[in-house]
Amino acid sequence: MPISDPDKLISKADKLTKLSLTRWSADWRNATLLYEEAANLFRVAKKNEKAKEAFEKASKGQEMLSSPWDAAKHMESAAALAKELGYWNEVTDFYRRASELYMECGRPQPASDALAKGARALEDAMPEAAVQLYNDASAILEEDGKEQMAFDLYRAATSVYIKLEKYSDAASSLLQLGLAADKCNATNSQCKAYLGAIIIYLHAHDFKQAEKCYNDCSQVDAFLRSDQNRCASKLLSAYTEGDIEEIKRVVQSSTVSNLDHVVIKLARKLPTGDVSALKTDAGKEEEEPLDENDLT
Amino acid sequence: MEKSKASAVALNAELRRTKARLLEEVPKLQRLAIKKVKGLSTEELAARNDLVLALPDRIQAIPDGSSAALNQTGGWGTSAPRTEIKFDSDGQFDNEYFQESETSSQFRQEYEMRKMKQDQGLSMISEGLGTLKNMAHDMNEELDRQVPLMDEIDTKVDKATSDLKNTNVRLKDTVNQLRSSRNFCIDIVLLIIILGIAAYLYKFMFHMATPSQQNSGHLHLHPIDTFLV
Repeated sequence: MPISDPDKLISKADKLTKLSLTRWSADWRNATLLYEEAANLFRVAKKNEKAKEAFEKASKGQEMLSSPWDAAKHMESAAALAKELGYWNEVTDFYRRASELYMECGRPQPASDALAKGARALEDAMPEAAVQLYNDASAILEEDGKEQMAFDLYRAATSVYIKLEKYSDAASSLLQLGLAADKCNATNSQCKAYLGAIIIYLHAHDFKQAEKCYNDCSQVDAFLRSDQNRCASKLLSAYTEGDIEEIKRVVQSSTVSNLDHVVIKLARKLPTGDVSALKTDAGKEEEEPLDENDLT
Repeated sequence: MEKSKASAVALNAELRRTKARLLEEVPKLQRLAIKKVKGLSTEELAARNDLVLALPDRIQAIPDGSSAALNQTGGWGTSAPRTEIKFDSDGQFDNEYFQESETSSQFRQEYEMRKMKQDQGLSMISEGLGTLKNMAHDMNEELDRQVPLMDEIDTKVDKATSDLKNTNVRLKDTVNQLRSSRNFCIDIVLLIIILGIAAYLYKFMFHMATPSQQNSGHLHLHPIDTFLV
């Protein structure tokens, strides 16, 4: 095409697609070609706004031509440009649409990749939406039976939750990671996930939850035999005794340093709150049964 | 200090070995001493006998470091007085005792320090090993993750190659259909001959047209220029 002005291309393509008296059916094929060209030229010229629109229209054209793969690809490009422009809502919409189109093609992996890219783009601006996208992406992968890929997504979701200080959600996503790892026999990741969950609960002062979590995880054979189990039991016993030095020593150990960055940061901040209060609680619980025994 | 102690220990061990050997020889010597040898006076014989009897005592009296240590650890040793072991003199015993304890306490200190250093080194090694173990586990999982992907790639590439082979065969059939290969070669050869004749004629014509040109190099250029224009 000798015309190199992208605006002209866009207007030409619009004319091709707009239905009017002289045109009974829209010529999507040529229009899509023109849209694609215009979009590329805009992108090179760094006119992001126009490029984004051009990509949107190109994607629509490809949809009309019933090639969802190309449509999805254009949607992704549009979404990347929207990210540059900072239109966060549009970013979510575009990436979701792209993921749907990929699912239409029957390719769940690029679908979840698209959602993951969207989530990463939104991490700073809209963390709740980001975490939503991460969860959806992991759900797609789990349906497809490819849990291995989901590990990274769970870890990213956990870090976003921790940033939002939603510790129980963070711990639950780590536990989901553990579940996925269990299905793939990835014992190391599984044990690390469980240890991370216990640390998060401890950081949130929720000692009972941490103990419950530890008991649950001990049911799992792989965890029981692992280094991380020993580390967790040391940590919990240090907590029950209220021994701050011991806690600090356990946290400095190499087992904890092999975990995820955000979890390590939380662990270094342990012990939070009043460790001695936990100790007296544990002591009081022991006394009550004794009293009953005395009465009888 | 260390060299002297190690060498002292070695020397002591050597001493003890020699003493044991000598003690073995002593009974033989005793028997020999009692025998009457030609040209030997009775006094000398008695003297030799006495010497031989005194020999074992003197051998035992050589200090080889085992006697004082025995006494130091003496609590649980059987305290039945052993007549073979005699000290050089009881008075000097105290000094020797202190001397030994100084060196041995230094030795013990060094031993403790070395043990500590070893422990430090070993803990560093164990940390490194822990990191290695973690990395190895992660690599294992990553490879497990990649295996199904590789299988997929394998199937896709196989499909692509079979498609390509199919297409190749069909192309070959089509080309053969148009013109069988033998005739094709003949076509090419004839074409080349015709082009050669045409070029020759071209050259010949321009050579005729511009006879004044002496330089054959220019001859080649000019016809081409005129041809382009």
